[in-house]
Amino acid sequence: MPVSEKSDALRERIRTIAAFYHRKGRMPSFSEIAEMTGMRSKNAVYKLVNRLERMKVLERDEKGRLIASSIAAPVKLLGTVEAGFPSPAEEELVDTLSLDDLLINNPDATFLLKVSGDSMSEAGILPGDMVLVERGVEPKNGDIVIAEVDGEWTMKYIKKRGEGVVLVPANSRYQPIRPKKELTIAGVVTAVVRKYR
Amino acid sequence: MDNQSIMIHSWPRAVLHLDADAFFASCEQALHPELRGKPVVTGKERGIVAAASYEAKARGVKRGMSLYEVRRVCPEIIVLPSDYETYSLFSLRMFGILRRFSPDVEEYSIDEAFVDLTGLRRHFHGSYETIARTIQETVESELGLTVSIGLSITKVLAKIGSRHAKPRGLTVIPGRDIHRYLQDLPVDKIWGIGPNTAAFLRKFGVATALQFARKDERFIASHLSKPYREIWHELNGRSVYPVVTDAKTSYQSISKAKTFTPPSRDATFVFAQLAKNLENACIKARRYHIAATRLIVFLRTQEFRNTGVEITLSRPTSYPADLFRALREGFQYLYEPRSSYRQTGVVLAGLVPERETQYTLFDDHAKIDKMSRIYRAIDTLSEKFGKYMVHHAASLPTKRQAQHEGERGDIPARTEDLFKGENRRQRLGIPVLNIGV
Repeated sequence: MPVSEKSDALRERIRTIAAFYHRKGRMPSFSEIAEMTGMRSKNAVYKLVNRLERMKVLERDEKGRLIASSIAAPVKLLGTVEAGFPSPAEEELVDTLSLDDLLINNPDATFLLKVSGDSMSEAGILPGDMVLVERGVEPKNGDIVIAEVDGEWTMKYIKKRGEGVVLVPANSRYQPIRPKKELTIAGVVTAVVRKYR
Repeated sequence: MDNQSIMIHSWPRAVLHLDADAFFASCEQALHPELRGKPVVTGKERGIVAAASYEAKARGVKRGMSLYEVRRVCPEIIVLPSDYETYSLFSLRMFGILRRFSPDVEEYSIDEAFVDLTGLRRHFHGSYETIARTIQETVESELGLTVSIGLSITKVLAKIGSRHAKPRGLTVIPGRDIHRYLQDLPVDKIWGIGPNTAAFLRKFGVATALQFARKDERFIASHLSKPYREIWHELNGRSVYPVVTDAKTSYQSISKAKTFTPPSRDATFVFAQLAKNLENACIKARRYHIAATRLIVFLRTQEFRNTGVEITLSRPTSYPADLFRALREGFQYLYEPRSSYRQTGVVLAGLVPERETQYTLFDDHAKIDKMSRIYRAIDTLSEKFGKYMVHHAASLPTKRQAQHEGERGDIPARTEDLFKGENRRQRLGIPVLNIGV
């Protein structure tokens, strides 16, 4: 087998193992590697693992189970593979955001809420929509907040007016609310999600 | 001597123990603002209290109480079905917050964790106490849960701290103050010391944690076994137990038990419950690539009488088909036709890595190989279409009735009120606020 083809095959295998690792959050067992790569014997897998270990792509713990090294961070890997330029697509993909990353600022503090009312309909938030609510952040002027005003829960724009605040709806059928006694902010709306099909 | 410090150094290490206050009930109150300040318990589906809010505890409600008794002592009680999916999400987030402060986090249980803060004072520009307070405030502001924290120089002392003041407590025990906290603490309140050891120690005039800590090493070495010697060192401020940071990948045993309502005396039905538990336990074992060498079967009657039996297996396995014979034998040994049963359970014990499985001379290799292929296919199907897509006929009778018939059959709101694209098996991994806006 010519060198470049051989290393292509190796790269493909590394990619397969890396994909498994990213999908399952753990390294595959020997038999799983055999299955994924189409190898027929454990011995062949053993040889592959040895080679990858020398390349620092993965490691083994004291019990012989596999631990990811550079396989967990595919960027490093590109430099160590023997031949060929890394495909530009692969390099570009490292720096992309998932929808989760885009919509959620702090995953530990973000909650879902199903909208039931229409007081924010002109802001594009409709009954049945899912909004993402972040707790523990200070609302800024103009944020949409989930708030308890004098014992009632509501979702409104928060506007600072001089000393106090006003909760402003996005629906002309509703009036702005000026909290009389108490105002508790449960969280700030960071995104709205609507799935059509 | 009681006033004498045990240690001169205040912070040779810094270990924090965090314990969430009335965790399950607090999760419910965090998501349902209308429940805040009210007596709430979870565990409706089991008929007994799994967790009680502080408001409920103040009215005399305790963990494990029957709901009937709860309604008697506290008629205004709000009873909710357990929503373990949501509690697990809260738990993961709590651990996530802790990891922002230190990489050394031990997930001790769903609502408890140890954190090693040693050496982090400079990084956070503050004392260990300030860091602990920030942790407490962050959990409260981001999750809406209150937690109690103990901060000291060993795990055993940190745990004493978190119990010292609850809820929303923060107890700091530096080396030179250890004796103050041990003085009035009964010896059986120490983590790891049970009623038997406490009774034994009382015979030597040791009633408080301080008296225990002050005993000389010769006494400890000649009268107590290793775990208690370690506790003795920890109480004296010498850290023995490390904060174990690796995620749980190895298990001592896997147990699966389920209660059903109403109780049943139908042997086929009770056995089916057992079979389903076995299938569940095996799914977990296969996920972690481990196999059991012992099987424990247990039954609980309506009167809460427990019977159990342990069976040693001829070779390690994680396949229900391998275990059904043993399961049936165990069941027949335990089952009394005149009793009504409310719970069944299995424990897979003596776990070994799957790959080390040694076949005996009498095993049919071809058959075992076939079995492993079948279960691999089942696992693949389950992964794609959800659990129980394929299961053994033995557990089929469990489908004759809901796990809990009648009022207890209430299931958490989260599993009913779905977003578009969610289904009853798979939902978004984000807790849902129940606020009508």
